[in-house]
Amino acid sequence: MPARILAFITANFLFWPTLIVVPMSFSSAASLQFPPPGYWLGYYQAFFTSPNWTGPLFNSLTIALMTTVMTLILATPAAFALVRLSFFGKRAFRLLTLMPLLVPHIVLALAYYIYFGEIGLLQTRLAVSLAHVCLTIPIAVLILTAALQSFDTNLERAAASLGANPLASFRTVTLPVMMPAFLVAAFFTFINSFDESVIGLFISGRDAATLPRQMFNSFSMDADPVIAAASSILFGAVLACVGAVAAARLVKSRFGASRSPV
Amino acid sequence: MTQLAVDHAVAGFQPAGWGAALFRRPALLYLPALLFLGAFFLIPLGLIAWMSFTEPTAGLGNYLAFFESGRSLRILLNTVLTAAIVTVCALALAYPVAYVAATKPGTYANILLLVVALSFWTNFLVRTYAWMVIFSNGGPAHSLLAFLGWSPPPRLLYTSFASTLAMVQMLAPLMVFMLYAVMRRIDQALLRAAGSLGATPARAFVTVFLPLSTPGVINGVTLVFITCMGFYVTPILIGSPRDMMISGLIAEQLEQLVDFGGASASSVILLVFTLALFSIYSSIFDIEKIWTR
Repeated sequence: MPARILAFITANFLFWPTLIVVPMSFSSAASLQFPPPGYWLGYYQAFFTSPNWTGPLFNSLTIALMTTVMTLILATPAAFALVRLSFFGKRAFRLLTLMPLLVPHIVLALAYYIYFGEIGLLQTRLAVSLAHVCLTIPIAVLILTAALQSFDTNLERAAASLGANPLASFRTVTLPVMMPAFLVAAFFTFINSFDESVIGLFISGRDAATLPRQMFNSFSMDADPVIAAASSILFGAVLACVGAVAAARLVKSRFGASRSPV
Repeated sequence: MTQLAVDHAVAGFQPAGWGAALFRRPALLYLPALLFLGAFFLIPLGLIAWMSFTEPTAGLGNYLAFFESGRSLRILLNTVLTAAIVTVCALALAYPVAYVAATKPGTYANILLLVVALSFWTNFLVRTYAWMVIFSNGGPAHSLLAFLGWSPPPRLLYTSFASTLAMVQMLAPLMVFMLYAVMRRIDQALLRAAGSLGATPARAFVTVFLPLSTPGVINGVTLVFITCMGFYVTPILIGSPRDMMISGLIAEQLEQLVDFGGASASSVILLVFTLALFSIYSSIFDIEKIWTR
């Protein structure tokens, strides 16, 4: 029982503070004033019409999309090699694919600032994507190798015994079975890129500014109140995703329970 | 068909063409990722290691400057201390949540996990902004202190207290997931067995559950501590400029002093510290288990 009470306290500490961004976003005050003196929708309108915000939103979505495509193209064969094959230096390669998770983002931000400056890519969407791909390869590799390890290779053998060449068996057997893992990997990659703040802050510059960079700058420089609307929109998106997953689980468990014999 | 029979049957259909080439030459599968990480991960890191020894002059100057400066040593100490406090607080908050979620399945456990997931997936900047509002002058925390009779209430925003509390709130969900991943695999029958042998629930918890949950505690503590050491946005936006963390020092050296060598040296020190902690971890456990356990 005390565990439940302690858990209740933690859950409240995790939940309520963040929720404060919602009333703030409808505030009619141009500052951090809470509770707000009045309510309106102006900051939402500003978020979707001001190029200061739509530009970074577009940049972040583009970067996340490019990152997702590149990460899946690189991580998929790597995951196959790690699970299915043995080769010289496999342990070292395995460690290398996980390494980006170990390096603090501020260190990478500095490294990319210098590196992309040297090769003339600083402040481009491509540079931010390339940096994000390094961060998301580990995530995609972890998800895909876990899924591949539980994949029954007899399915591919069966396809081969029925005359399918490797490409055909990959397309008609492996890909459909692995599809959920690919979707999960793509989703996590996209979110991680979209949310990444520190590297984007240092290397995206004015032209390729990411949404987190714009948010950071509006905290620290001009205290632009549109930040509350931007925060609420991001929070709402997470709420919708988590809520959708929870609802899907609930429906599944109810549905499953009604069909189970006991 | 038995496995052997399948193997024999398949032997007649040895794959041909480029698909087969892939499996004879695994390099074709792993080389793209290897080259990519080499070009866009290892070389950039190597570049800052190089610059830390060569900018502006060759030698150990940047490291000597770091370790001879009282300020940067204080920053390093403050970073480690803050990360330790945040880790301990996050563990204390997260353990009961993970325990209830793992051992008492039901609606309450599901709601707990939902709240943790919601918090985990909410952008760090959004959560930092929320704490900025809460701690601002005239904000809820400020007004509460005034209401309780602390007058005038102390400044809360831009203090170490504010950034430490915010970082605890941001990293506690990660800790919950690390603990939960291990705890949900603990066999509940062991606790019942302890009970049937006369242990009180508290004793069963201390002698059975707690030791079995240690791998989760070690994973969570390692990851939260290391994440916190490199945290940038929260201490910069709501922390005290006097009690800077090392990430703030790196940014200052880069943006205000344009001291690439110094920034690189600070980064290498943070990186070496981080990798040393991970190598201690991996000398005891498989490093991969930290994420997949």
